[in-house]
Amino acid sequence: MDLYEIRGSRLDVIAEETEYQELNRDMASPLKKSPGVKDRHDDMFGNGRIESDINSSRNQLQEKVAEMENFAGHLEEIFLTVEENFGRREQHLEHHYTDVLQTISQRYDERAARLEDEKKRKLEALYTQLLACGHALDASKELIEEAKEVYRSQDKRVFLKTVVPTLKRIEEFAKEEMDLTLATNLDFETPLADLSDVKSMMDSINIVPAPSAPVINPQMANSATQTSLRVCWSLFSDDTVEFYELYYRLVLQNAPLDSTTAPQVRKAKVKETHCTVKELLPGAQYELWVTATNTTGISPASEKALYMTVPSPPVIKQRQCCSCPEAALIRWESGNPDPVDSYTVELTELKGSDGNEKGVTESVVAVPTCQCLIQLQAGHCYLISVRAVNIGGPSDRSKEICISTSGTFFYLLEETAHPCLSISEDGFTIFYGDEELPISAMALDDDNFTRCVAVLGDLIPVRARHYWEVEVDDRTEFRIGVAYEDTERNSYLGGNNTSWCMRHILTTSRHKYEFLHSGQSPDLRITVNPVRIGLALDYDWGTLSFFNVDLEQHLHTFQCQFQRYVQPCFGLDSPGALTIHNGIEAPKYAFIEHP
Amino acid sequence: MALTQVSSNKCAGGFQKVFEHDSVELKCKMKFAVFLPPKAETHKCPVLYWISGLTCTEQNFITKAGSQLAAADNGIMVVAPDTSPRGCGVEGEDDGWDLGTGAGFYVDATQEPWKSNYRMYSYVTRELPKLINDNFPADPERMSISGHSMGGHGALICALKNPGKYKAYDATVLASGYAGPPLDILLDQGRDDQFLSASQLLPDNLIAVCSEKKIPVVFRLQPGYDHSYFFIYSFINDHIKHHAKYLNA
Repeated sequence: MDLYEIRGSRLDVIAEETEYQELNRDMASPLKKSPGVKDRHDDMFGNGRIESDINSSRNQLQEKVAEMENFAGHLEEIFLTVEENFGRREQHLEHHYTDVLQTISQRYDERAARLEDEKKRKLEALYTQLLACGHALDASKELIEEAKEVYRSQDKRVFLKTVVPTLKRIEEFAKEEMDLTLATNLDFETPLADLSDVKSMMDSINIVPAPSAPVINPQMANSATQTSLRVCWSLFSDDTVEFYELYYRLVLQNAPLDSTTAPQVRKAKVKETHCTVKELLPGAQYELWVTATNTTGISPASEKALYMTVPSPPVIKQRQCCSCPEAALIRWESGNPDPVDSYTVELTELKGSDGNEKGVTESVVAVPTCQCLIQLQAGHCYLISVRAVNIGGPSDRSKEICISTSGTFFYLLEETAHPCLSISEDGFTIFYGDEELPISAMALDDDNFTRCVAVLGDLIPVRARHYWEVEVDDRTEFRIGVAYEDTERNSYLGGNNTSWCMRHILTTSRHKYEFLHSGQSPDLRITVNPVRIGLALDYDWGTLSFFNVDLEQHLHTFQCQFQRYVQPCFGLDSPGALTIHNGIEAPKYAFIEHP
Repeated sequence: MALTQVSSNKCAGGFQKVFEHDSVELKCKMKFAVFLPPKAETHKCPVLYWISGLTCTEQNFITKAGSQLAAADNGIMVVAPDTSPRGCGVEGEDDGWDLGTGAGFYVDATQEPWKSNYRMYSYVTRELPKLINDNFPADPERMSISGHSMGGHGALICALKNPGKYKAYDATVLASGYAGPPLDILLDQGRDDQFLSASQLLPDNLIAVCSEKKIPVVFRLQPGYDHSYFFIYSFINDHIKHHAKYLNA
């Protein structure tokens, strides 16, 4: 019987059965940080870290509970199979022995009947003989009496007359041989009982039966690859087995109604109690069961087990990743049709003067969704990749993305753009063209700006300081600033209380600048028209400041109480273009130092 | 030059002091106010010269403008001189409120009887800075100038005529002849200022010229505010921050 050992909190099959024993221990542990990385801005993410510790402990416990449940389920299966197997054997035995007993009982009856007959015959024979002897005895007695009487007779003449015949009669009688032999043999015949068939029945009990059903093991973590599965099973009885046959079939997430297109069952024949099945699809679920065969026949099939291959690596969505000096938000596509258990995000700091030296790789494990906000250090460069994880193990690494924490970096949320706005290939220049767009292009999602020719940026949701610059030319009529993500799409930037922006209006006589919020602006004049404008957003101070970058001149600061995260916004009031520059380290004058 | 301390009050963690001295340029005793921030106890500090408007003395700004907290926060010394020579006995100096006593206009007079005493330009740009640098923990490389009303005019004259001397400038004056290192001018004007409505203040002219000459100015028209120290008080923080950006760079 194959045994399971319980080591620590995991189920492990004993060594000879498995070669895939080295588990990636990182999978079970929460976020590990190298010592140097511990000192970061405490205040900002302090609460988050305690929360994530609690979460990771809770996750560990949940994992353990799930493992114990699986173990209990597997034990139940084994118990049921053993019960079944022995039930069958019991029945088989009972059946056999019942047959044997019946046959023997039958023979006994036959034998007894025959003996009975024989006894009867012999008794009859003897009785007949007895009767005969009785007669003879009577006859003799009669003669003797007669003789006696003759002898006693007074009448000599009668005596003489009868003595001779009587004597003759007695002589003759005496000459008669008495048959004193027994009429019958006193012994009984005891022929050897023909119990050969009973013997053969008894023998057949000892014949090796067909094996009982094996028990297929649940999938061991990290025993699979993208295209193969390692399957193990056990036999909980003393049956001899010549070989096993493993059957497997792909499980489709959406089972087609037409059964003819169901995936076909494949099988593999092996002598051992394990098998590596190859040429499978990544991140897919397979149904497997196994039978054991010997000379007598094939066992019933084991219960069906579900195994999963390792998933394909995810694909990072470059244009949906954003960052700032303290953190990065990475988003990706699963890369797998079937859901995976979790994702692991790996980051490596690039060191050295030319960024060629790689630092330690950190992992963030058990990420439940296709995005992750990671804490980073300012002024560094990181390579980040993602793996998908399921019971089979972790996938290969996705293609890496390089994140630089020199400044705040974001792409535009293109799905919010007004239809008349077009965006350059690199995603950082917006154009408002002269051409009229056809009405059909006005078919819009809820997310597009419908009046103001504008678009939002995808700023990382982190309460920190963010800085970016906008490049325009002297004649561009623009609106630039920030807005809440849910700012009204049918309203103008700055015209409502959910957006703050700097606006440039060009009249025939002069340039006019406004700093708009809720439709109000201070009355301001600016003598040198800014063509490169720096925007500095400080969540803690609740300020949004605008600067003429070329002159390092402060233009205006909004004092706002941001209730939630804001997004950068960019709009054009007349045909023209503007270019966004980000990922820049904020100049010293952009932010007030907090006391 | 002998300085006599006239008063000293602890204020905003530092000291608001008033001194008196014999002025060479003005040939009379002059008072000036100095605010020393806490930083001055251990370091040299940059200096903001504040020059006041018509009829003011060295007292108005230090008692009414509320600049000490911002100055202390930013580690800046603030020097506020008087607005004209006093007690010189110049004929006609007390005839009007807008010429003579309390109305020096921060120019050096070229005509009699004024030219002997009324040399506020030289006083503010030469004598006073030397006095401050010699007697206080001032950083001689870092000074800026600001003012209100007549003082605003004065600040700009001083800045424009001394390119590169002042690190930040802040005033109302014509600037068409300026040719020097880049300026960065912050200008606040109360919309309800009676002098504005009386056209005695002409900010549009300044703006027009600065636009043409590409002199960077941010001009803010503050609705509801007038010409008084209440107006100065309301925006002095912004101005000190504006100066601090350059003085502390």
